[in-house]
Amino acid sequence: MAIKTGRYGKVLYDPTGAGGATLVEIISLNAWKLSIKTDKEDVTCFNDTNKVYVPGMKDLSGSVSGFWNSAELTLFEAADAPTPGMLELMPNNTEPTFKWSGLAYLDADIDASLSAPKVSGTFAAAGPWTGPAAP
Amino acid sequence: MPPDTSAIDAALLETLRNDPTLRGLAPNGVFFDAAPAGSTRFVIVSLVDAADIGQLGGPAYEDLLYAVEYRELKQVAVESTARAAAQRIRELLDDQPLTVTGYTWMTTHRERPERFTEVDDLDASIKWNRRGGQYRVQMAVG
Repeated sequence: MAIKTGRYGKVLYDPTGAGGATLVEIISLNAWKLSIKTDKEDVTCFNDTNKVYVPGMKDLSGSVSGFWNSAELTLFEAADAPTPGMLELMPNNTEPTFKWSGLAYLDADIDASLSAPKVSGTFAAAGPWTGPAAP
Repeated sequence: MPPDTSAIDAALLETLRNDPTLRGLAPNGVFFDAAPAGSTRFVIVSLVDAADIGQLGGPAYEDLLYAVEYRELKQVAVESTARAAAQRIRELLDDQPLTVTGYTWMTTHRERPERFTEVDDLDASIKWNRRGGQYRVQMAVG
């Protein structure tokens, strides 16, 4: 294992939510971001020497972005969908087992100007997510 | 196999070289970076800036900025064709698709006009009219 380039990252989506073989790559993207954060409840008491927290519920959300491509409408279809789809995020496709995936609701944006129009989307978990297992 | 960026340069040159009107205005021809010695009325194309814009999995598009200039030696007995040549260059390039194997054309447009007189360093009586502009060319890969 070694540090890998992000150039071969991959984002896949399946609107049915099934995942697996029905996942299809969303093309023309150039970035994705996943945030995994757990709520922390402040349980600091009298005479504690510092603040003390206990973990609450884990939250997963993030974003994807890239270029507008009329052959790729997945983001916008997902933003319109009433049910969540299966989203899969891969840092590098040469290590296809290292990925995060789960059901997600997506929103979409398009930013058009005189340069190449950009698209972006945000997502929030809609079910349990799985991540890469520790080696 | 990745597409050949030089093919974009070549397509731009061919567009200019194949136009009889521009040939009449710039009889010495259209060249990349430098014209042959002795040329007095010609067009120079040069690459000002270039970038490969990536996407996940490979290149998305190539972003190229060219300077395209008509140049003529100022001569008292010869009427300048600089204005007409610069306008013809614009007609040939602005919003005109380029066909290049391995790419899909996105845009060709002028970003800034250029016009100035260059005075020879050694002989101030020798002056060159330079007129044209910087043209942005973007070609999607694939």
